[in-house]
Amino acid sequence: MPITSLDQLDLNATYTYADYLQWQLKERLELLRGKIALMSPAPSRKHQQILVNLLLQIGNYLDGKSCFVYCAPFDVRLPINRGDSTEYSVVQPDLCVVCDEDKLDGKGCTGAPDLVVEILSPGNTKKEMKDKFNLYEEAGVQEYWIVDPERLHMLIFELNDQGKYIGKPPITKGDQLETPILPNLVIEADKIFEKV
Amino acid sequence: MGVITSLDQLDLNATYTYADYLQWQLKERLELLRGKIALMSPAPSVRHQRISGKLHGVLWTYLNGNPYEVFSAPFDVRLTRQKNAEEVTTIVQPDLCVICDASKLDEQGCNGAPELIIEILSPGNTHKEMKDKFDLYQEAGVEEYWIVHPQDNNVLIYEMNEEGKFIGKQPFTEDDILTSNLLTDLTIDLKNIFAEK
Repeated sequence: MPITSLDQLDLNATYTYADYLQWQLKERLELLRGKIALMSPAPSRKHQQILVNLLLQIGNYLDGKSCFVYCAPFDVRLPINRGDSTEYSVVQPDLCVVCDEDKLDGKGCTGAPDLVVEILSPGNTKKEMKDKFNLYEEAGVQEYWIVDPERLHMLIFELNDQGKYIGKPPITKGDQLETPILPNLVIEADKIFEKV
Repeated sequence: MGVITSLDQLDLNATYTYADYLQWQLKERLELLRGKIALMSPAPSVRHQRISGKLHGVLWTYLNGNPYEVFSAPFDVRLTRQKNAEEVTTIVQPDLCVICDASKLDEQGCNGAPELIIEILSPGNTHKEMKDKFDLYQEAGVEEYWIVHPQDNNVLIYEMNEEGKFIGKQPFTEDDILTSNLLTDLTIDLKNIFAEK
């Protein structure tokens, strides 16, 4: 029987990517270590404005280069390290940059993107700062940016040599942002927060 | 020149020192950041004060019986230790600070960088706390800087590394137990800090 409604699912159960592929739901959800995590309903205008601003900057920069940029909804499968089994968390980051084409297939990306950006929505801070933070760190996402659309700042986390995230100084109005993932790109914070 | 009793008598674009600041008799609270006047938010919200009070209580209990001391705003901190008031151009009033070196204390407050500073965000002051004061605290050698977000219920902790730069830890959310490298064995259950009462 096809799953077409959330009622048919058990929010406490553990599911696999194979299960996820068969669901035909209206709701958007993520699978974090097998557990269902519902996503916010349609994001706010501010959220989407920031997403567009970032996409314009990064997209233009990547024109003619070999990395790829995607925005949500776009499935990213991150392997869960459980012995030999290849099971995945499935996340839909607001924006991600993937520089290894082999990770891409018809359904999205398998393995860690080089950069993930999440823009906070009311009520999802804990998920982004804890659950997904840990997933991205474990999966080896090189940089994780968390944007606060209300207070207009960004937190930048970078993997260190031990594979742990360390936070760089927050980015706010007037700052410039540079990252080794996108060499020579200088992103003005004021551009990211324009029209917000 | 008469006594300064109103902001109108001051030039917001001018550069002032602690010597000037000491002579002002203003109703408004303000800070001096690299000599520039930075007005403070009017009376903080109930939520801001509740969080501040709880953190003060937890820190006081933890520090009770040892030489460290916790202070809450208004409390003047002269960030860089100088002998002459004319040389001091940065005076801040952090929401909370912990001073481990008692020799920094005098009658007027703290002369030098506290070891720990905690700022609780208010609407409109994010840029000041995350940029201007972040840079000042880093430069002055504050060992830990905590930024508390009373809407999203989280705490960002920046620790000074060996190169004198602030390094951010994973944010602590309301489900977490906050720990600190500076205040060893301190544990703060953030659920209590962010609870409504």
